Amino acid sequence: MKIVACYNVKGGIGKTAAAVNLAFLAAHEGARTLVWDLDPQGAASFYFRIKPKVKKGSKGLLTGKKALEEVVKGTDYPNLDLIPADFSYRNLDLQLDEVKKSNTRIQKLLKPLASEYDFIFLDCPPSISLVSENTLIAADAVVVPTIPTTLSLRTLDQIIEFCNKLNIDHTKISTFFSMTDSRKKLHKQIVENPPQHVRVLGTSIPYASDVERMGIYRQPVPVFAGNSRAAKAYRTLWEEIKSVLG
Amino acid sequence: MKSLHSAQFIVSQSIDSDAIFTLLQHEFSLYETGHTRLKCHYLDTFDWRMYRKNYVCSWYQTANKRAKNREGIFFIHEKETGNSICELPLSRVPGFSKDINHQAYRRMLDNILGIRALMTVAVLTVRRRQLIILDEEHKTLALLQLEQYTIDESADDDQPAGRLIVCPVRGYPKVFKRVVQLVTEQLKLPHSREALLDEVLAVTGKRPDTYKLTGFQELESSFSTWEAVRILLQHLFSVMQANEPGLREAIDTEFLHDYRVAVRRIRSILGQIKHVFPDKLLAYFKREFFWLGTVTTPTRDLDMYLLKFDGYIQALPDDLQQHLEMFRLFLQRHWKIEHARLCRALDSKRYQKLASEWQKILANADMPLQSEMSTGSQAQETCNAAEPVRIVARQRIWKLYKRILKEGGSITPQSHDEGLHELRKSCKKFRYLIEFFQDYYVGKSIKQLLKPLKQLQDNLGDFQDLCVQIEQLNGFAEQMQQEGLADTKTIMAMGVLVENLNKRKKALRAEFGRQFESFIQPEKKAVFVEALRV
Ligand SMILES: Nc1ncnc2c1ncn2[C@@H]1O[C@H](COP(=O)(O)OP(=O)(O)OP(=O)(O)O)[C@@H](O)[C@H]1O
Ligand SMILES: [Mg+2]
Repeated sequence: MKIVACYNVKGGIGKTAAAVNLAFLAAHEGARTLVWDLDPQGAASFYFRIKPKVKKGSKGLLTGKKALEEVVKGTDYPNLDLIPADFSYRNLDLQLDEVKKSNTRIQKLLKPLASEYDFIFLDCPPSISLVSENTLIAADAVVVPTIPTTLSLRTLDQIIEFCNKLNIDHTKISTFFSMTDSRKKLHKQIVENPPQHVRVLGTSIPYASDVERMGIYRQPVPVFAGNSRAAKAYRTLWEEIKSVLG
Repeated sequence: MKSLHSAQFIVSQSIDSDAIFTLLQHEFSLYETGHTRLKCHYLDTFDWRMYRKNYVCSWYQTANKRAKNREGIFFIHEKETGNSICELPLSRVPGFSKDINHQAYRRMLDNILGIRALMTVAVLTVRRRQLIILDEEHKTLALLQLEQYTIDESADDDQPAGRLIVCPVRGYPKVFKRVVQLVTEQLKLPHSREALLDEVLAVTGKRPDTYKLTGFQELESSFSTWEAVRILLQHLFSVMQANEPGLREAIDTEFLHDYRVAVRRIRSILGQIKHVFPDKLLAYFKREFFWLGTVTTPTRDLDMYLLKFDGYIQALPDDLQQHLEMFRLFLQRHWKIEHARLCRALDSKRYQKLASEWQKILANADMPLQSEMSTGSQAQETCNAAEPVRIVARQRIWKLYKRILKEGGSITPQSHDEGLHELRKSCKKFRYLIEFFQDYYVGKSIKQLLKPLKQLQDNLGDFQDLCVQIEQLNGFAEQMQQEGLADTKTIMAMGVLVENLNKRKKALRAEFGRQFESFIQPEKKAVFVEALRV
């Protein structure tokens, strides 16, 4: 089992879109795949039309035995399951703080699922917190969408710093450019001269209305626009991530 | 990912999707898809390895020629429960486990199939209508599939009954339960008791247990030698025939292998059970089966190299590995030539004559020529045919045992390889006879002898293979140079390969003494004497 965390400190930059589309592509190839929607806003759950509700809330998940297995929901697609978001996740930070070994708790929770799934995608909320610390530790690959702007590159440095401070191997970070607009000069410049101190994947996800339409169709892009530019970009991105995972 | 229990019901023609729709629409919001037509290829190996492990393998593809998405889907289901274990997109029917990209499933298949290939055992046309149970967000909560089946080669009135399959979605058990309850109580549909594959096989008359290389009917103790030999030879010939199409098509290498084993066993009976056939006929059959052995050897040798090729490469130093690829190409090229030659031999008049002569003689309940021929000498030639096989076989087995003791005992670390080859042949004959006539030993103690015998045979067999391979490899290298296929690096790589094989050969030779000792232990001998007691 490989755990892929879609993470960034910044919000609204395509984490959830990446998690949902990549997970769909993995499952579509036959890999047994799970998405855990860790964001109390429940965007990933929304895309899969699954109610953002978990029995006994986050507290139940942190304390119960085999708690994750009981809340897994099948999606509309073969090989793809979801652990929904829950409103209570907004307190996940505090609740994690109360348990022992609080920064490896999520890793521990996922362990029993190792034989059941080939890939687990974590859709993380945007923050620097105990939740993000947990997901960074648990993940085999941390996928960081980055908008090609100077400000976003600084956020990327922040994340690497955060990893270094916590002694997390930052080589598991892979970033890709998200919502790129080739008409914008700055975007083009940055994409063509990516930062050297972190792994930047070759695939960029362009700014595309098909990604926005996921909210209307409530489906992954490849389902309703299989041949679109966005779907193709997610496909090559997934190939790259797989080869990074080895 | 947990595999969930689906519920399957038998559906008579009179029930249509409307009835089910009407029933469920009071409680659920439903979405009904149009009819789809699918081709389902059931897959298994020639010897039913998946089925015997309780798995059903299938490959589905839309039967609609104009459909945009013609990509197929490969499934593995548990036979008894119908639970889906694996669902993978796959553009064509898979042959070997290596055709599956997904690592976990590839390993699973590899463990079950080994070197055998999947082949289509039945083709079914499925007409499917789906009924999807949705919640207010239009999320699927359960899936109903109403299916009608046609087996292309069967008559209209001889087809499997249709089914209604209720598939649960993980995390929504209440919906599933309620649907199953409604279908059971209101529509009164009976649960299907049998896997669909079993029904399909029943209709097509295929049976998963029809092929066995060694299993034959029990030999009765009253049998004459001809009666027993005839049963054995008939069985072995049927094994040859069963494997012939597969070896011609080269579906996998086991067809040719099993074919050759059957030929060898036939030759062993012809050679070992004496005075059953008239001399002239015996000489003819011996010669012809020997010929069959010879014409199949080159292809088999090349099969062996190709099967072991990845192992050869891995045993080479990294920088030489890529240079062996030319050798693979060479082998594949020659394989094609030899295989074509083999197929021509099987198409030849000579082979047809052998087959018909063979069937003619085996059709006789008594060794017929005995009565037709009046002279004393000819009666002498077949004098064992009417004797009790118990006695004749035991005498021969005993003789072979003594031969093995003698041949093996005279082998020293210094003696020539030739001695080991002779011993290998004797062991093989001995082993075949023991297996053929296993009904005639006292008790089960013979089993104790079989294990060390098998180990000894493995040692001798591997040794022999290596001797042949080392010699052939040197020849191949020369041939490749002549054909302009080999550069210096390739020749170097092959040289290292030969060195590796030589090392293994030495190790096996060193191992021989211990294997032989364990075979001839006095207490094993006592067991054997006891088992052969008349
Ligand atoms: N490549 C893209 N092209 C166009 N729109 C996009 C693209 N990627 C994401 N969006 C849109 O931007 C919005 C935010 O995307 P998304 O939810 O994936 O980001 P996020 O990083 O997960 O946000 P949050 O931090 O709020 O969880 C959504 O409305 C989405 O449809
Ligand atoms: Mg998000």
